[in-house]
This record gives sequence, structure tokens and C-alpha cells, in this order.
Amino acid sequence: MTSEVFNANPTIVATAAPTARRRAAHSLWLSDDEDSDIYDSDDEPEPIDADEIFDLIRSISDPEHRSMTLEQLAVVSAPQITVAPSRILIEFTPTVPHCGMSTLIGLSIRVRLLRALPTRFKVDIRVKPGSHQSEHAVNKQLNDKERVAAALENPSLVEVLETCLQGAGRRGL
Amino acid sequence: MDIVLSHKIASVAELAGHDDRAWHVAWNPSKPLLATCSADKSVRLYSYTVDPSPRFSLHTSIPTGHTKTVRGIAWSPSGSTLATASFDANIGIWKREGQDENDEEAAREWECVSILEGHETECKSVAWSCSGTLLASCSRDKTVWVWEAQPDADFECMGVLMEHTQDVKYVAWHPTEEILASASYDDTIKLYLDDPSEDWFCFSTLTGHSSTVWSLAWSPNGQYLASASDDCTIRIWKRITKHEWECVLVLEDHERTVYAITWGPGKPGTTQTGGESLGWLASTGGDGRINVWAFEEHPDSTQKSPPKHTLIARLENAHGVSDVNSIAWCPRTGYEDLIATVGDDGVAKIWKVVSA
Repeated sequence: MTSEVFNANPTIVATAAPTARRRAAHSLWLSDDEDSDIYDSDDEPEPIDADEIFDLIRSISDPEHRSMTLEQLAVVSAPQITVAPSRILIEFTPTVPHCGMSTLIGLSIRVRLLRALPTRFKVDIRVKPGSHQSEHAVNKQLNDKERVAAALENPSLVEVLETCLQGAGRRGL
Repeated sequence: MDIVLSHKIASVAELAGHDDRAWHVAWNPSKPLLATCSADKSVRLYSYTVDPSPRFSLHTSIPTGHTKTVRGIAWSPSGSTLATASFDANIGIWKREGQDENDEEAAREWECVSILEGHETECKSVAWSCSGTLLASCSRDKTVWVWEAQPDADFECMGVLMEHTQDVKYVAWHPTEEILASASYDDTIKLYLDDPSEDWFCFSTLTGHSSTVWSLAWSPNGQYLASASDDCTIRIWKRITKHEWECVLVLEDHERTVYAITWGPGKPGTTQTGGESLGWLASTGGDGRINVWAFEEHPDSTQKSPPKHTLIARLENAHGVSDVNSIAWCPRTGYEDLIATVGDDGVAKIWKVVSA
């Protein structure tokens, strides 16, 4: 990994609690452990909303500032998530437009959702328009499933990803 | 969307078995064998009988020894050799032990007779030339390699083509001439020829797609090239002079990335307007849809006129919710209406295009 610092002094925002509606509706979520994600054993598709997607990715660690989450750095937020019946579009906002970690952030979001969501969802991940100087290149890489698959067979990259995803199961709690 | 089409796509067989995403499917051109490859690093071979109706059974599963995903596979024109392209950057060459034609003893195993090393990163596609003497490979390292097959499973590199500015996704040889096409993450297609006194060189760059080009298919008569892209379109390029190809048609019937296309002869006698049949083109991709078009040459076609095309069949959710990664027409005479697909569900499926 590069030792270059892309944003030495990022802005940190206050985080919100997990959505109350979901807490009430699904006790499953409260007894969350790292491995029990939301795979359904039955075939009945259960609707999912932007808040639930946000809860899955908010606690991913920032690859540059490992002690902080993507939510704390305002890289991800619920309003940047769009959910159609089986399509999910996630926009994220790198903290600085030259952020060299953007593809890694996007990859960590993709891997988190690959592991947590049922396969019926088609996920598109993009940087927020205008938020990154290599917007097109980052978007293209993140949505090329062959490149993502190859990246996940690269042990050193997977090691970095796993570090970022270690706390992802906290879901803002 | 309700559209009335002349044909429908009927399920013939479902072949589960891979433990992970299946990437590519290839019919043996001379033997009743179908090969699939997967992120599980294995190749599965299915044998089939066609009488009275197509029946498929597992012939063997080859663990391959590749250390990463097996991304692409290609049968030599003779059907005796299989090439594998892997994310471990190597190409494997496979033959059946004691290659003895007409001896169908199942006991003989497929063995790796050669490993072609040279690519620096993931190898994504391999293809044999029509004569079987040349093999092309491509990689994320942005290069296309042309290898010459020599006796005793020896391969010599005849050229390294560094024309693309990005990841090369797919290579395909012209059906009758030694023209090679490559498709890339740089959104272009490049065409190459061998200069007898020099080296292999790129003689044309086809631009028009607005995103990654994932797959290529030549028309059986060699006068057209089809390309499938992340821009959700298929482009049809026409040979307007010996070395000039131009886009004459853009098909927009997919909602997500078009990962694969295949162009076969189609069922004889199915032209719509009496023109010369150019065969059937089938496409599939991230939307899980299979489209089949019948192509015909217009009776009054001009140099740059597009072929007549009719969508004859469509199937949604061919692999359930999964992406479909590869599609291929059966090459066997009399069974040109059979297609194989593989998907992210790890399953291979066989379909028949039948009159509705």
C-alpha cells in the first residue's frame, strides 16, 4: 500500500443511531453477530430500504484513518443510497477529490454487500458526481465484476479489505 | 414487456456442480462434449447424446491446478485439445491421455501437457485460429499474445501485441482467415494481421462503444463482427473492404452489461424475407436475459447497409437472479438451435430455440 497521505485532517461528523423502525421490526438485528447476516432461508423476498443498506456499510473502517468509520467521515450516508426492488445504487463521497483510497473504499462497500445481501440484488457503486478527479475511472473499476473477482483473489488486497471490514458488523451500534 | 416473437427458448438441461461462479462455456467442435470453467478453479466436461433428444451427463471434472479462477476455455478446431485461461496469469493446454481417436474409454483422463507462461497478470480469454495452428491469449496486463502450436505440445510466442491502453477482455479469431480481434476495458476493439515479413500488427481500431467491450463473435460467413459491451449495447461491424470494418448497427435490448454473445448458423430455412441467412446471434449478460436475433442479408444490400435483423426469441431471468456470463451455440450439424449458458450461480444450462 502507498504511504502517501491523501487527507491528513478529515472532518468528522456525529453519527446517528441505527434506525428505530428497524430495531422494532427485526429483533434479529439486535442479536447481531459478525456472521449472521441477512440471508433468508425461505424464498420469500423481503423488501429492504436505504437505511438497512446504510446500516450494513456505515461501520466499515476508512482505509486511511482506520480508527474512523465511513459514516464518521461522511463518506457514506443513507440519502446517498437508492433502492429499487432488486437494484441498489450506492454513492459515496471521498473526503478529498484526489483520494487515492477511493477504489479501496468502494471495494470494501462492494464486498460487505456481497457477503451480507441475498444474491438477488444487483449493486452499483459510484463516487458522488463531482467528488473525485478520477470519477469515471473509479466507477468503472468498481463496477467491473471481473476486476472485483480478481482483486478478491489477491491475498494482500484481501488482507487490507478484511481490516476495513472488521468492524462492519457493528452497524452503527 | 409483452412482445410476440416467432420463437421461444425452452429449457433442455440444468447442470449444477461448480462450487462458485461459472465464467465460460465451450462446445467441443467435433465430439459430443461441453466444457465449463469456474472461479472454483475446475473445468467440468459434460458428454451428451442427442438421440432421441439431447441428454447430458458429467464426463469428468478437472481440478486444473490453476491457483486462481479459470476465466476462459477454448477447444482447438480438431476437438482434441482444450486451452484454459486463468487469473493466475497462465494458460493450460489439456489433452486426453494416450490421445487415441475413436476410443471412447472413459478411463483415460485429461492431463495438462503444457503451461504457457508470459502474461504478467490475470489471463482472461484464449482462442484458437481456424486452422488450429495459432492460439491467442489476452490479459489485464494490456497485452495480446499470439502463440504457434508446434508438435509435442510446444508453443512458441509469435508476437506480443501492446495496442490496448487497458485490460484486454476477450480474443476471437475470424472463422476462415488469420485475422484476430481483441476487446478491451479501453472501450475499443482491435483487429490484427500477420505481416509475413514482419510481425503481427494492428490494422484497425474499432471505436464506438462507450464502455468496456466484453465479448466478440464473428458471423459464420466472416463478413460481420458483433461486439458486446458494458454500455448495454451490441454493435455489428461490417467488412466494407478487405481491411476495413465499420459499425452498421447498434442493438439496444439489454438493461445491464452484455457479457457474452455467440453467432451461429441458426436453423436452416428460417429466413424471414427470403434473403441470404446470416445465422442467429444470441446475447446475454448482467440482466439475466437471453436475446436471439435472426440475421439476413438484404437482397439489395449495399457496401455499408446493415443486415436485416429480427428478434426471434427472448428469455428473462435465464439463471434466476444471477448474471449470465457466457453463451454458446452448439456447433453440431442438425443441432444449431441448442445454446449453452453459464452464470454466477455456477450452473450450466442448455436451451433449445423452438418455434413459438
